[in-house]
Amino acid sequence: MGLPNQVAEELRRIVGRAAVIDSANDLRIFERDGSIEGAMPDAVVLASTTEHVAGVIKVAAKHKIPVVPRGAGTGLSGGAVTIRGGIALQVTRMRRILNIDPVAQTAIVEPGVVNQELSLVAAQQGLFYAPDPSSQKACTIGGNAAENSGGPHCLYYGVTTNHVLGMEIVLADGSVHWVSGDAPDRVGLDLCGVLVGSEGTLCAITKIKVRLLRIPPSIATMLAAFPSIETASQAVSAVIGHGIVPAALEMMDNVTVGAVEAHYHAGYPTDAGAVLLVEVDGTADTTRELTAAIGKILTENHGYAMREAQTPAERELLWAGRKGAIGALGRIKPNYYLHDGVVPRSRLPQVLSAVGEIGEHYKLPVANVFHAGDGNLHPNILFDMRDRDVMQQVESAGEEMLRAVVEMGGALSGEHGIGLEKSAFMPWIYSEDDLGAMHRVKDVFDPNGILNPGKIFPDPSRKAVHLAGRTGMAIEAKWW
Amino acid sequence: MVSTVAVEKPSTADELARRLHDAASQKLAVVPVGGGRASGMGGAPERLDVELHTTRLDRVIEHSQADMVVSVEAGITLEALQHELAKSAQFLPLDPFSSPGHTIGGLLATGWTGPLRLRFGSPRDFLIGIRVALPDGTLASGGGRVVKNVSGYDMMKLHYGALGSLGVIVAASFKVFPKPLRDVTVSSEGGWDAADQALTMPVAPSALEIFSDGRVLARYTGSGDAVDRVVRDLGWPVEDHSIWERHSGRAPARWARIAAPRSALRGLVEGLPRGAGWWASPGIGVAHWAIASDTPSVKEVRARTETAGGSLVMMAAPDDFMRDVGAWGTPPPTIDIMRRLKHAFDPDHVLNPGRFVV
Repeated sequence: MGLPNQVAEELRRIVGRAAVIDSANDLRIFERDGSIEGAMPDAVVLASTTEHVAGVIKVAAKHKIPVVPRGAGTGLSGGAVTIRGGIALQVTRMRRILNIDPVAQTAIVEPGVVNQELSLVAAQQGLFYAPDPSSQKACTIGGNAAENSGGPHCLYYGVTTNHVLGMEIVLADGSVHWVSGDAPDRVGLDLCGVLVGSEGTLCAITKIKVRLLRIPPSIATMLAAFPSIETASQAVSAVIGHGIVPAALEMMDNVTVGAVEAHYHAGYPTDAGAVLLVEVDGTADTTRELTAAIGKILTENHGYAMREAQTPAERELLWAGRKGAIGALGRIKPNYYLHDGVVPRSRLPQVLSAVGEIGEHYKLPVANVFHAGDGNLHPNILFDMRDRDVMQQVESAGEEMLRAVVEMGGALSGEHGIGLEKSAFMPWIYSEDDLGAMHRVKDVFDPNGILNPGKIFPDPSRKAVHLAGRTGMAIEAKWW
Repeated sequence: MVSTVAVEKPSTADELARRLHDAASQKLAVVPVGGGRASGMGGAPERLDVELHTTRLDRVIEHSQADMVVSVEAGITLEALQHELAKSAQFLPLDPFSSPGHTIGGLLATGWTGPLRLRFGSPRDFLIGIRVALPDGTLASGGGRVVKNVSGYDMMKLHYGALGSLGVIVAASFKVFPKPLRDVTVSSEGGWDAADQALTMPVAPSALEIFSDGRVLARYTGSGDAVDRVVRDLGWPVEDHSIWERHSGRAPARWARIAAPRSALRGLVEGLPRGAGWWASPGIGVAHWAIASDTPSVKEVRARTETAGGSLVMMAAPDDFMRDVGAWGTPPPTIDIMRRLKHAFDPDHVLNPGRFVV
């Protein structure tokens, strides 16, 4: 396919010759994100400035070419996949931290700044950026804002939208605006709130002003083993039912613990049916008191082999196991398919048992590692893409798991976004009128539908066609 | 033109949507009304044909104690909801001024908050689902009943604080919070220095208010040991909790909300006319001014506030005063986008015409 030469030339004039990629081999690198779907862009543009982003979008608008803003490509729902071709607008060269204000406790960053880098730099001022997706070593703040990403510590601190104070955005006509800012209670509609989490379908993000928090003086991280997922789930509800909202409350099932322990040797109990990782922070008084209270509750709920990280290094190791869990699952199968449905917390045991049954039915191993305190599941369906026909099975299993989530009053995604993979399921949770209202928003911001088309909203024409093509493509590409 | 105002009090969301659609299809101007506690906010309606009251939509739809999630109809009062939540030692961390009597729908539409926002944020942070009647008669929901959700656009943010300009909120779901293990309020007469001291202690207060007479109230919630220690370290006298109820009852006949970057708030408050009555939440960046001066002085304070990156919004005032000062001040630079959103949801401009910025 490729872009018409004239369009490619226009793009080169904006960003420079070397910053437009359109050779088939190079484009292949941008075919995918962290999800299991892929599609080739016609061109990749490496933007370095807001003016670049605005200029590229103006060109796309003029020629009505799809444009898909892209950060590190770690997203798990296909948000950065150019499913209708067009331009992948790569912002990872925009990676300056423009300002950290230690008094106001804010930072202004470009969208390509890596999540963890911001916290590392802010730490020099005793501050940190709270949302911490497991991919934080690679994922960008721009991508986080587009997806409204979460992370383990969002249980207490809230997700990305709770920490974004304002953004510089580029609209579908190439115009540049600031939305929101420092002051609370701004006059008018909360555009910033609507744009965070809009998955690149309403605007491109070129600067983000975020809230930073003071690093708590004391952090305590505990690990406890449980005989089963059910008992661990019960313990989660009991902790929160006691009026304690820990900073993080994560669960890993037996399959995950086995893989993690083999990889990280973090001292996770491999005989356990499930493991809880609990973290509390605050002053030393707070953590001491909460640790004791939580320890008691966990013990009462069949927790055993409890231990508390004694050093920062030990704490790091416990977290490395959790945040690296999905990578460690590669020891079991080379590929995973990860959903992130959310259920009301009290339904966790039920939904996890349904997830287990679905895995057994399809003879696919499933590893659960998730944000238990939020009721945010992460069932990883493990498979080998080289096995013929497995993709269809994986797809069906994933769909059934989401179905179970929705039947228990849940939602399709807690933090990964709808993107491509779940757009067909949106009618499970929203009526035509609900989706119609969302579409009005889309039409206001992007009347010609050039910004990340084919995402969020169901596209009845797409699914069957694409599925067939995808399986073939993945095998042909010998991705793994 | 209809010269008398029709008062509609539907008892179901469907009925409310029908009434709204009926009015809209005749291009009649509709003003949604909840508890009326914040009805002074906004410009005088350009037109008013139908008052659409939500007060009969007053049910708790579902309170799941274990999940700490509650769904309510929009016309329930905050007090009725808190009463329900208190039965399971939970609460919604919302303590707006001009209480009691706010409805949940009214609080969401106006974005009114109170001192506890320092620790818990505003409903913007804990509103997890919303259902809105639109002028075309449809009922559109967003979000859900789970505490973390990125399924589709964040329609809660679209309607929160939009003063019913895009639709009438008929139901909402919230993440609720456990009653804190310890909850202690202390006071000082030490003015800004005392406020700064409390705000920079290792344990942050959940609410901190400073008053024009130099008094400071600090509320600490959380684990017992931590709260007790910070209260001991501060050494301020302990106050009875009823002080917060009295505080949230404040509703001057003529008042404004000054919202600014936190670092600018003190300067703005100190620049109020001599002897002005005010109270402020310096940790949030919000102050309330009980206005006893004339309109030029309000305009002057607003100009300074806007220069500092903030806003001065009138909460209530007599009509002529409001007209002269203007309810909202300078429209935001993105007003055109907001107008397009308004037009997409309310093409005939029947909802609250003239009251909001769009």
